[in-house]
Amino acid sequence: MNTDTPADQYECTARLLSITPDAAIVSNLGVASYVLAGVEDRARNFYQWGSMGSTTPIGLGLALALDDPVTVLDGDGSMVMSLGALATVADQNPPNLTVVVWDNGQYGTTGGQPSASRTVDFAAVARDVGLAATHVSTTDDFEAAYADAVASDEATVVVCDVEPVDPDERPPFDFAHIKWRFRDAVAPSE
Amino acid sequence: MAWEADVLSVLKENSISLVVYLPDTALGGIIEAVEDDDWFTAVNVAREEEAIGVLSGGWLGHQRGALLVQSSGLANTLNAIGSLSKPARIPFLGLVSRRGDLGEFNLAQVPFGYNMPALLDTMGIRNHSLAETDTVARDVDMAAKSAFSTEEPYVVMLESTLIGAKDEY
Ligand SMILES: Cc1ncc(C[n+]2csc(CCOP(=O)(O)OP(=O)(O)O)c2C)c(N)n1
Repeated sequence: MNTDTPADQYECTARLLSITPDAAIVSNLGVASYVLAGVEDRARNFYQWGSMGSTTPIGLGLALALDDPVTVLDGDGSMVMSLGALATVADQNPPNLTVVVWDNGQYGTTGGQPSASRTVDFAAVARDVGLAATHVSTTDDFEAAYADAVASDEATVVVCDVEPVDPDERPPFDFAHIKWRFRDAVAPSE
Repeated sequence: MAWEADVLSVLKENSISLVVYLPDTALGGIIEAVEDDDWFTAVNVAREEEAIGVLSGGWLGHQRGALLVQSSGLANTLNAIGSLSKPARIPFLGLVSRRGDLGEFNLAQVPFGYNMPALLDTMGIRNHSLAETDTVARDVDMAAKSAFSTEEPYVVMLESTLIGAKDEY
């Protein structure tokens, strides 16, 4: 049981991987990628080292191309930079896409400055543009919401309030290597 | 619809089935045809920077893609191209209606539109100016082959002499 508020991003990431061990995962630059690499550096992880605001669009392109479950691990600062992308996701609505927003309330990677997440209700924005969305703040609730999102037949956004963390782990630095490793690991849809 | 038909055939011949766009008058014929044809996956983005993400996701999932935007829209993609397409070596074919040069009436289109080839050169993104209908099929085909074999973006600028300048004098 883990019902502490806010949720633990490491534990949530670990549980997400056990629910969808084969998911293609796209992780936001910075903390989301550091935590994912720390929990498990797998071939089906596509980490970013830049392109802030592109995480959810990459997941959308992947979900349209693959039959496998696709999971986006976005950050609140990056999501606020690209809120319009949620409208594009809603328009396409690929059933195999789950967008997780780790809401630590700050730009964690650049030193923890507060983000607009204090005033933005991401799940409400997602619902407003026509997406299914839930908002959770404990690790146990995240696990249940993520399992539901993956099982549902529409693109779903799961916003999870998390405790800020400052990871030591890093993904591989060779960006093209990450791409080739990822591409080799996923099969194109028929 | 003559040169637009050439572009559509080239996209199909090169297995480019993902087309990501933001509506544009000059590209309207191609976009409409793509939207009407189930062979293509068409994605209308809210802001062009998203398109680089969608095309990159497509490539990671073994789908080849093309970007259809105006030069002002390409300006909206530069950070994503520089921090994702270029370092990760993720290709796409860019078909960009170029404003800001011959016949341009609108100064707002000039700083990015006129200078786009130079900006792309500075970033190391190869690009080619397509000014006449005769060579559309050949040049777009070669641009596509170059993009996907080298795994880097290649941008074709569709010039006002090909697509027509807006007449608002
Ligand atoms: C376009 C752009 N703007 C700013 C930055 C600097 N930057 C890198 S990570 C980051 C913070 C991201 O915040 P958030 O999405 O909330 O994720 P967190 O770091 O909290 O996990 C910023 C501002 C950047 N790399 N690119």
